[in-house]
Amino acid sequence: MGVPYVPIIGLVGTDLLKRRDDMVVAADPFGGKTLSVVAKALRPDVAVFHAQKADREGNVSCGYDIEALILSEASRHVIVSAEQIVDRLTEKEATGAFIPGIHVDAVVHARFGAHPGGCTGLYGPDKVHMARYIAAAQDDAAFDEYLKTYVRDVKDHDEYVERFVPREWREPVRAVGA
Amino acid sequence: MLLSREVRDGEVSACGAHSQIPAAGLLLAQELHAPKADLIILNTAFTPFRTSKAFHFLCQRGELGLFFVSGVQIDRHGNYNLHQLGTDPDRPKVRFPGGYGGGLIYYAARRTVVFRTEHTRRSLVEKVDFISAAGSTPPDVIRLGHPTKLVTPKASFRFEKDEGVLRLDTIHSPWTLADIQENTGFDLGVSGPVPATKAPSAEELTALRGVVREKMLVASPAYAAWARSTLVEPQSA
Repeated sequence: MGVPYVPIIGLVGTDLLKRRDDMVVAADPFGGKTLSVVAKALRPDVAVFHAQKADREGNVSCGYDIEALILSEASRHVIVSAEQIVDRLTEKEATGAFIPGIHVDAVVHARFGAHPGGCTGLYGPDKVHMARYIAAAQDDAAFDEYLKTYVRDVKDHDEYVERFVPREWREPVRAVGA
Repeated sequence: MLLSREVRDGEVSACGAHSQIPAAGLLLAQELHAPKADLIILNTAFTPFRTSKAFHFLCQRGELGLFFVSGVQIDRHGNYNLHQLGTDPDRPKVRFPGGYGGGLIYYAARRTVVFRTEHTRRSLVEKVDFISAAGSTPPDVIRLGHPTKLVTPKASFRFEKDEGVLRLDTIHSPWTLADIQENTGFDLGVSGPVPATKAPSAEELTALRGVVREKMLVASPAYAAWARSTLVEPQSA
């Protein structure tokens, strides 16, 4: 939208409002008789997300996840990783959301880049890995161990895929999971 | 069944992404008394929008007639909690995902029916641990609608807007007033006898297990799994 703040109907009297400093209750500037919540715009410095397809110009086809378009418009910089890089992607060829390259700063080729999350139409979430993640997220020491295993001690994305994406997902390339 | 009776013909009615019971209620209403109702069942084949933005602004414009929502806890004043158990916000006993848009829709939909699949003292409380959405707001706050009902497996409550409290309305057979009192964590607001909830008709049950079930099977995989296991004839009569 590009506006600095926006009035919204809702949230008055909630405990959520008590814990947020980017939303306040304010009077209607035209007459001052009514009140509503006013929310400050979110303007991320960088957005990073994974998509099914991208081309070298930064055009992106992103499953059904059209929220990625809103994210791309709002963020100052956008980095997209994609399962597949194609020569040219137009809105017509995009399945689901199409994000024009004008919003995108960089694309990165990363097969299984959504792992352990899923990538619509290609693979579902890795439920075994997710359970491990949830267990690790219970305390700081366990989570540090998780980061060491899956992030710090992994040389690059290829090594990650080789070691942690289930083998049967990789060959042959086909839709798996939910 | 009770949820379906709340749907009005010609209106826009909606429920969230993991709301199998309201979804069935919406589809049942469309089949029986509200053929011209517009239904929105988020994240299923019954969603007309590609973005949450479109649904958000439909609500903010005041075009949503009816919404169904649930909460981990619901209190006497129609506040619901979808965030956390325990009153210390920094050290909750259990943390839930929170409500995506409920805190807005509760104020913007013309009517909201709250449902809860568990009728106990831990779910229906005097005061919720965390207010995710408030039942009432001061009169100078812009609000387009408010909660109208609470439906549980044992009873139905109506929301008295002026007093800002829920009051026991009807009791489902075979439960009694004593059962409801024993299992509700707040004052029921009744003195005299409470009428029984109108039982499901043969027509409603047939539609639910027939046409509605078929539609749920194509709504989304999660809804299909629920419909397969739930919308069937009881095993023993």
